Amino acid sequence: MNTDTTFQQVIVIGYGKVTGEVLQYVYDRKAEYGYDLAFIEHEVHPFSITEKICSENGIPFERITDKKELAAKLDKLTAKTLIISASNNFLFPSSLVDKPNVTIINFHNALLPDYPGRNAPTWVIYMGEKETGITWHYVTAGVDEGNIIVQKRCEITEDMKAYELTEQLMNLAGEAFKESFADIMAECVEAREQGFAKDRRMYRSYEVPADGLFELTGKPEDIYRLLRSVDYGKNDIFPPMRTVIDGREVEILRYRKIPADKAGIEQSGGQEEKGFRYLPLRENTVLKLKYVCVK
Amino acid sequence: MEEKILEILEEHCEEALDYNGESMMEDGIIDSFTVINVISDIEDEFDIEIDAKYVVAENFKNKEAIIALVRKLLEE
Repeated sequence: MNTDTTFQQVIVIGYGKVTGEVLQYVYDRKAEYGYDLAFIEHEVHPFSITEKICSENGIPFERITDKKELAAKLDKLTAKTLIISASNNFLFPSSLVDKPNVTIINFHNALLPDYPGRNAPTWVIYMGEKETGITWHYVTAGVDEGNIIVQKRCEITEDMKAYELTEQLMNLAGEAFKESFADIMAECVEAREQGFAKDRRMYRSYEVPADGLFELTGKPEDIYRLLRSVDYGKNDIFPPMRTVIDGREVEILRYRKIPADKAGIEQSGGQEEKGFRYLPLRENTVLKLKYVCVK
Repeated sequence: MEEKILEILEEHCEEALDYNGESMMEDGIIDSFTVINVISDIEDEFDIEIDAKYVVAENFKNKEAIIALVRKLLEE
């Protein structure tokens, strides 16, 4: 493998699983390429493994949660630097992007140019897409607009939840990064333009599918898709979905697709009255909702 | 209760059953996605809500910590 590079320094920024995988890989290649390596944690994650990777391998670790402080630090870079942004929500200022000695690459969890912005796994599920994927791209001043380095695709299965899709995308991102790393370092990537449409929609962090509300009289399949699309476990990326049951506004605490016969047993046991509601789904299955009244 | 939790752990991460260390996360036994699955199944099984404030590495450092957390929530 060709390990020639003119990059003197690599900085990894991000949090979560893919960041840990990327950081470990870049550390493992450090001696071959001869670059300096540093890690910056901009957003703190409760189960982050990056700090441990850094401490075990002697990688400089900095936690900079303030955007201005981070921008100021990066703006001072003088060495030829590759910044790897993986699961990172810091928007790089144009003054940094335009620096001739700095190259930035970013992982996006959708197939750009589609679904740019935040929470892409949510939107692809909510929109009923059958396929999505990941994109590594060069960073420009526009959000998720830079040329594409590599993409990988995956299927969205019919019961897939946002966190399950996210995990699959993280795995794909790690694979794609490793496959592309040598070309990125050698600066010989055949990157391609995104060619996005003028009316391309940018998904914002404050946007919630269906505004977080659904009608109980709606199609159960649509309700199920909405609930799966915002399901990141205990990560409160979205507020609980709301609906009206028996004239009262309720929040959905949990949901499950269960066999219809099991639902029948539960309902006859009185669960229907105890904060549960059952909606018939496809193929002898039922959507079981657990809710709590909020008004 | 313990038996049920161990069954859930076995389903999502068999290695957790034999782990005797102090941080399954740092030792690469489980990751944040496994935690989500385990929490989801525990909530269903015991009909409890595990508030996000409890979803910290300390409460998922090993199987004993998870059992202790569920026991505490069931007693509340």
